[in-house]
Amino acid sequence: MTIEAITGRYLTVQIAGAPRRIYFEEAGQGRPVICLHTAGADTRQWRHLMNDAEITSSNRLIAFDMPWHGKSLPPEGFETEEYLLTTEAYIETVLAVIDGLDLGKPVLAGCSMGGRIALQLAALHPDKFSGFIAIEASDFQPAWYDIDWFHRPDAHGGEMGAALVSANISPYAPNAERWNTLWMFMQSGPGVFRGDLSFYTKDDSLIPRLPTIDTSQTPVHIIVGAYDLTCTPEDAKRTADAIPGATLAVMDELGHFPMSEHPEGFRPFFVDALAKMP
Amino acid sequence: MIDIFTHIQKTLDQTPHLLRLGRLFSETVLIEVDGEEFYLTFEKGHLVAVVEGPSRKTPWSFALRVDRDALDKFWQPLPEPGFHDIFGFVKIGRGRVDGDILKLVKNLRFFKEVMALPRGMKGA
Repeated sequence: MTIEAITGRYLTVQIAGAPRRIYFEEAGQGRPVICLHTAGADTRQWRHLMNDAEITSSNRLIAFDMPWHGKSLPPEGFETEEYLLTTEAYIETVLAVIDGLDLGKPVLAGCSMGGRIALQLAALHPDKFSGFIAIEASDFQPAWYDIDWFHRPDAHGGEMGAALVSANISPYAPNAERWNTLWMFMQSGPGVFRGDLSFYTKDDSLIPRLPTIDTSQTPVHIIVGAYDLTCTPEDAKRTADAIPGATLAVMDELGHFPMSEHPEGFRPFFVDALAKMP
Repeated sequence: MIDIFTHIQKTLDQTPHLLRLGRLFSETVLIEVDGEEFYLTFEKGHLVAVVEGPSRKTPWSFALRVDRDALDKFWQPLPEPGFHDIFGFVKIGRGRVDGDILKLVKNLRFFKEVMALPRGMKGA
């Protein structure tokens, strides 16, 4: 029998003038590191790192489910609302959670859309953070698919979403973790993956902001997997090149969900990223 | 290519989870390899016919057009980036998917796993 060190609790914060009950997990002590999941998934993507005693001996890892995801409910009245995440709502949510948990100036580690918002926060709210680890993160990519495929009454959006994003998982990923990663997509609520992708594939406001990021105050380290078809190493390099002082690491044997699809393969890259943070 | 499609046909019939996933899939799919056409007809998840083209009379629901070298790389046990998924072919400019894409997307896991059946097979 094993009982993991991860604990989960709920936090209620005001977002867009209304309460949101947010589920968050944490493990460890020391430097706070807030971890953001990808589109269409939840906090479980971070569980391997949160169970890594060496990492949590000096880092307090905190991950939370965005509203509509995992164990965070949608807002009241969701039944008639079309979920479409925006950069502004995402930023407001992250800031509300770090304020609500009184985290001071945490390191922000985000993957995919979480990496995108990490870079937005690096440009717009650097005073709230001590550094940024942007995983599978880039300035912008338009969708190479039709996001409306993933929310329709005649088919299961979660199953289709999982089948699509499997294109971004490395063949080196252990089979069990490949399928655990895909399960989260299969479980995501109707329209949630679509609503996340709406923000991710349509908002290009980050591009002109990248050169304004001051990495002398808040370091930015970008990590990308070679098997990521959505945010390719070329996309990540272009993005890193646009941020003066940003650093980049390419993971040859990983894909778009590195902390989840191949935890062992990702670990050294995450440890290296943490070492670059204040 | 016909040998490989025959391998897919036999292996699919011995793969219960794929037959379950494909139980609503009864379509003809065009696979074009280096310009050569192959029409794969599925009935309730079984691959019941593989017919070589060219044909202007065979209706198909969606098509995957790719080159043989890309397919050979796709069928390696650990494919290189871009060759690890059929959408990778499209992304790196080595393939094209067209026709009724929604029909493909509704059966995407089934179709991808069927196409990957020769992975690691000797001679694939």
